[in-house]
Amino acid sequence: MLHPILRNRRNLIGYAIIWTIIGALNTFILVYFNDFGIIISVLESFIFNIIFATLGIGIWYPVYYTDLEKNKISNFLTNHLAASSLAVGLWVWISYVIMTSLFANDEEYMVYLNASIPWRIGIGFLFYVLIASNYYLIIYYQNFKDKLVRESELNSLVKESQLSSLKSQINPHFLFNSLNSISSLTMVSPERAQDMVINLSDFLRYSLSHKNESLTTFEKELQNIDRYLKIEKIRFGERLNVEKDIAEPCLRYYLPGLILQPLMENAVKYGIYESTDQSNIEILASCSNELLEIIIRNDYDPDFISKKGEGIGLRNVISRMKIQYSREDLVKFNKTENVFEVKLLFPQTY
Amino acid sequence: MGKVKTVIIEDEELGRALIKNYLKDVKNNEIIAECENGFEGIKAIQELKPDLVFLDIQMPKLNGFEMLEILDEKPEIIFTTAYNQYAIQAFELNAVDYLLKPFSKERLLDAYEKAVSRLKMNQPGTEKISKLIQQPLDDIIERVVVKSNTKIHVIPVEKIRYLEAQDDYVMVYTFEGRHLKQATMKYFEEHLDPREFMRVHRSYIIRLDQVVQLEPYGKDSYVAKLKDGPAVKISKSGFKSLKEKLNF
Repeated sequence: MLHPILRNRRNLIGYAIIWTIIGALNTFILVYFNDFGIIISVLESFIFNIIFATLGIGIWYPVYYTDLEKNKISNFLTNHLAASSLAVGLWVWISYVIMTSLFANDEEYMVYLNASIPWRIGIGFLFYVLIASNYYLIIYYQNFKDKLVRESELNSLVKESQLSSLKSQINPHFLFNSLNSISSLTMVSPERAQDMVINLSDFLRYSLSHKNESLTTFEKELQNIDRYLKIEKIRFGERLNVEKDIAEPCLRYYLPGLILQPLMENAVKYGIYESTDQSNIEILASCSNELLEIIIRNDYDPDFISKKGEGIGLRNVISRMKIQYSREDLVKFNKTENVFEVKLLFPQTY
Repeated sequence: MGKVKTVIIEDEELGRALIKNYLKDVKNNEIIAECENGFEGIKAIQELKPDLVFLDIQMPKLNGFEMLEILDEKPEIIFTTAYNQYAIQAFELNAVDYLLKPFSKERLLDAYEKAVSRLKMNQPGTEKISKLIQQPLDDIIERVVVKSNTKIHVIPVEKIRYLEAQDDYVMVYTFEGRHLKQATMKYFEEHLDPREFMRVHRSYIIRLDQVVQLEPYGKDSYVAKLKDGPAVKISKSGFKSLKEKLNF
């Protein structure tokens, strides 16, 4: 961190103005309450104040190197006691030497000067404390601002990655294959082609318009999954068999939007894309006591599918659940010989 | 030249219907078979000996590239796929064309004409898909397709214990048995996951977690004892890198 006063001209001028005001007050007191001559009053406050002002700039360093949080309180006090004694000692001594050399003949002033040393020392420590605490405030404020910047950077980073993950959820191959099916349907069955275009459009609109962190009802999410499955059903016909067992009240429960889509795509990918026979996908939902539980099951052929890793889609779902609910125990997998199962828990209050 | 005998291999019914529809008015073309997957495709190609095949790449169980790998006699191939990342592999395989879904009638007929003119030039073997080039879909393979007599075996990589070079072939030893595969050791060295497999000798690639013991064997050579008995030769350099990898 740069020196808060020396860092730019504005701060330096501000600091000078403050000391000029202190100096002016000092002169005023000397003239009106102590009845000294104007010249001696101006000189005395100029010398004392400019020396402390200079020392004050230096006080930054003991403050900067004595972190409030990283130091023990005894350490902290020792450091500042040493630094303040040095600063005050230097201040009084240098000013005293200069003033005595200038006004050695002015007896009245010399008496005043000698008598003033104890309270000057007191004022010196007071100034030290004031300046040091100001420095600490500045450091604290700066750290606070840095933290805010970091946090907003982190936030936008998270958002960005979430957005790109959302985009990747619309699988381009799914899109192109669907368009190919539509192209074929336009020749054999224009009505079905139109149906599929509308379905695909609704599916894309839902996927693209969705705000990532916002919650949606299970009903809406399920509608979108139905659109998706309808499209895949047109592509794969009898090969795709979907069974659903969903308790009606669960439809009003909330979950993060598009959280099920990558899981459905996985189920279709491993169940249907890699199977020559009919393949089943099951969607089960139950709910109780502020908790929605969804299970997605699909058949798979262990001989043809590598079991390495969980795939990007699944990892995405896990990390989204973690960000959304700040819990890590909400996604569970279960793999038997030829059935893969994902269980998701959605707390309704968190 | 007689009729162009065509086979469509594509796992989606609508995909097959589209190609059929596009080819409907082409004189001299005869669609002799439609196949839903790679297994059916191989059978159709071997039995019906078509001139031209429209081949999807992504299909269940046996993808288009794997299917070509185990064919001895290959017809002219036009790939049809939604994936654009396999175009280079497809052309290295000397395919006639590579159609990206969805494609137009003109585009398909264009490819068809190219195939016909290649068939007319009638240069069997040389111009067609070369036998030995193997093009896995991904850098790291997850399964190996082999053919024994009339049967096709799909071996998941997890089941491979070690591989042994045998002239132009590689013997693939699994936990259950062994299969001869027409391929090179280099192919396996490049496409098996290096975290699991290592080439330890000119003639051997082994699965790392199968190694039980390393023993010297004569001057400058070693053997690795594998679980349940078999032992394979290891070269000097193979011994060094194996020792490092396994921390023996």
